[in-house]
Parts: sequence; structure tokens; C-alpha cells
Amino acid sequence: MKADTLAIHGGFAGDSGSGASAVPICQTVSYAHNTAQALADAFAGRSPGYIYTRIANPTTTALESRLTELEDGIGCVATSSGMAAVASAVMALVKAGDEIIAAAGIFGGTVSLFENTLRRFGVVTNFVDAADTSNLQDALNEKTKLIFIETIGNPRMDVPDIPAIAELAHKAGIPLVVDNTVTTPVVFRPGKFGADIVVHSTSKFINGHGTAIGGAIIDAGNYNWREGPFDQIRKLSQKVGQLAFLWYLRNVIYRDLGGCPAPMNSFLMLQGLETLPPRMAKHCENAERLAQFLQSHPNVSWVNYPGLKTSEFHDRVIKLFTGRAGGLLTFGLGDKEKAFEFIDSLRLAKNLANLGDAKTLVLHPASTIFGEFDAHELGSMGVTPDMVRVSVGIEDFEDIKADFEQAIERAFKEKK
Amino acid sequence: MNLVVNGKNTDISDSMTVTELLAKEDVKMPQMVSVELNGQILKRSEFETTRLKDDDKVEFLYYMGGGTCL
Repeated sequence: MKADTLAIHGGFAGDSGSGASAVPICQTVSYAHNTAQALADAFAGRSPGYIYTRIANPTTTALESRLTELEDGIGCVATSSGMAAVASAVMALVKAGDEIIAAAGIFGGTVSLFENTLRRFGVVTNFVDAADTSNLQDALNEKTKLIFIETIGNPRMDVPDIPAIAELAHKAGIPLVVDNTVTTPVVFRPGKFGADIVVHSTSKFINGHGTAIGGAIIDAGNYNWREGPFDQIRKLSQKVGQLAFLWYLRNVIYRDLGGCPAPMNSFLMLQGLETLPPRMAKHCENAERLAQFLQSHPNVSWVNYPGLKTSEFHDRVIKLFTGRAGGLLTFGLGDKEKAFEFIDSLRLAKNLANLGDAKTLVLHPASTIFGEFDAHELGSMGVTPDMVRVSVGIEDFEDIKADFEQAIERAFKEKK
Repeated sequence: MNLVVNGKNTDISDSMTVTELLAKEDVKMPQMVSVELNGQILKRSEFETTRLKDDDKVEFLYYMGGGTCL
């Protein structure tokens, strides 16, 4: 089945008991078993069965199955947030003394996890400009256990050469972890281009309406867990084969850290997925048109959208994303004051820390999601003081354009 | 024709797809099962199109286990 169909029907064929066509919300903590032996067997892994919603839940299972099919992977673990997904996936792989190579210019929350939290536990991350694959090659060493990139860096808006990076990782015997939040499997399936683990913040385009926090980890099925430098997973692979990573993830890391989604939130993600393909088409179309409009505006200093023909990443957008560059762009108005005045003057677009909503959203990254970093760090991540990040919504384009036009005009008029 | 299903020899009269084998074996929680064929996990989309051959090794696997290690 094609993605448009999988988004609606994947992972759930209707409830056999009631006939419900929407996925039922299994709002339960635990699951009764008929006998003491049955529950003991489930706990011991001798028999499949739901035990406790922190480990698995039927509503969440439907979401995991649908995401697995959309990403064409071998399995998925859904999480309580995108950061829970990143943290769980990475913590399943690294231990004290290991190193990570990560793209500079990725989501600030991920940078903070790697740079601050994981460093406290003895894991060192080397951030490099991933637009040039040779930078990753140079950073590789015998301690490196994984490479982490985003399909389109948020907010750097760079597009790494994902197939080349996957090849580099595999030559080194380590997995490539790719955050596909900004592109979604509708625009891009990283596993088709060599990525081993795909992570998502499902709070964004997948949810699509700003109504629930969630995340997901998908094993794309490319990495051979029977080999590789992960003792705990290699040992498990003797019993569960290529499911070893997912098994370890769910039954050790996920179980221990407690990052499970609420069943209601899994339902909201499933509902969001059903309209993801047409929404992504409109997000991409509106973003490209807004980028072109901003690029032609005399008061706009710069625009960064990889779908623009002038972008250095345009060829990769064509090759990897079949020309669709997602719904996110950044632009500058010269200085922080004008950026603030522009944001304050908007009437339609919302100023908030999220992306992927049906509504157009704006944010000043340097003072918000990147507020904890100093000027030097911001520079290396591609965050400038005048940067405005836009998550372009699916409203009528002329209304978005009119809102931006009047807000830019006001930002510059008030300075005179 | 002989298959090795979860380590046990299983005779089947005719070639069948993975979907048909799942039904024949009446596997528990079919929506959760993963199928490993000769060491490789099959994508769910391949269940209906993958026809089993003589001496194939099939494992039914789950990654939603309980609270303890295998």
C-alpha cells in the first residue's frame, strides 16, 4: 500500500469485538490474565501479552504498527515525547566512555541532552558541520558508537548527504540515527537511504494540531545487531535476532526510564497521521511560496529554505525528498529588534515554541529554544540574533503572505 | 514440505505465504508478532507476498515482553 493509504489504514484493521473503525483508546494501567501462570509467562517473555502500559498498550501498539509501516521499518517503540525518543534510542546504545558524532545545528533540546546530560554520564558528543560528510569522517574514532543527524537541521536548515553518511557509519560498524521529525515519512523515509534508526517528535507534523506531546523510535532494519559494538544487544540477538535493539529498547531502557505515551495521546497521533499526507503537501507548497516571497522582499536580509533553487542544498532536496523541502524555514530582518517587532506585529501567525501545527507558527530561536547557549555556540549552530523561524501552516497562502507583509512593514516603519 | 518453525520441524502439504502460516499456527497476538525468515526480519508488507520454501526457518518473535530478560 502507498503512504496515503497506510497513514489511514496502517496498523489497525478495525476492532473485531465492537466493529469500531477508529482505534479504541485503551485507558488502562494494567491487564488482567486468567491464571497466575499466564501472567508469569508474560512477565518471563515466554508468552506475548500486555502487562502494564509503561511497557505496552493496545492503542499505542496501533500507533507503533502504523509508524512502522509508514517508515517501512521492522518495528517501533512510541514514547512520551520526541526527547524521550532521542534519549531512549541513544541510551540503548551508549555507555560511559563512548562517543557520539552529531550534526551541529540540530534541535536545541537534543544538543542539550548530548552536551550536558549525557556528558555527565561520561558520554562525549562531537558536533560537526554535517553538510560536508568529510567532517564526520574526520571526527570518527574507535570510541564512536553512533552518528546522529536530522534530515533537515532545525533551525540550521542544512540537508546532510544521508546516503553518504550511512555508508560512512556502516564502514565503521556503527548505526546512523536520523531524526525525521521535520520531513516525516510522507516526504522522506530515511531507512530507504541507509539510516538504521529513525526517531520522531510526533508532537509536530504527525500530530499536526498542537494537541499532544509524543515521540517514536523505528528500527529501519538495516543494521546487523548480531554484529556491532553493543554487547548487550549482540547477546540478545542470539535469542531474538534482528529484533534485539527493539527488544532491549522496550524491555530495558523504556521500561526503566518510564517514557511511555498516554493512550489518549497515541490516539491523537493516530488521528493526526490520517491527514498527514495532504497536510504535508500543503505545508511544503506554502513554505516554498513564502520562502520565495521573503526572498524577493527588500527588507528581508536572508532566507534559508532548502527548497529554494538558490539553496546549496537544493540538489539534495531533489535527490532525497523528491523536491519537497518541508514546512520549516528561517529568515532574517537584520537585527534582533526588528525580529521582535516583526513577531509582535503578526496578526495570524502564532508566536510559540512548536512546529508542524496546521497553524503558521513563528519563533525567535536565539532567545527561546537556544536561549541557554552563548554567542559562540549559537554561531556554530547557525543561530543568528536576527533569525526568525517559521513553521508554515496550511492556511490560505495569500492570508499568510498578507500577515507577513504587514508585519515586516510595521517592523521597519516603527524604527524610522 | 518441511519448515522449521520456532526450532521445530513442521510439515505442511502445500507452499503457503507467511500470512497463511500465521493463521495455520494460530500465533498469539498476530498484530504484535514479528516474523524472522532465515535470519532476516520480514516487513509486515511482505507477509502476504512471501511464499515459504522447503527447509525455510521461521521464527515468531515479539519485542513487547514482560519485565525480565529472556
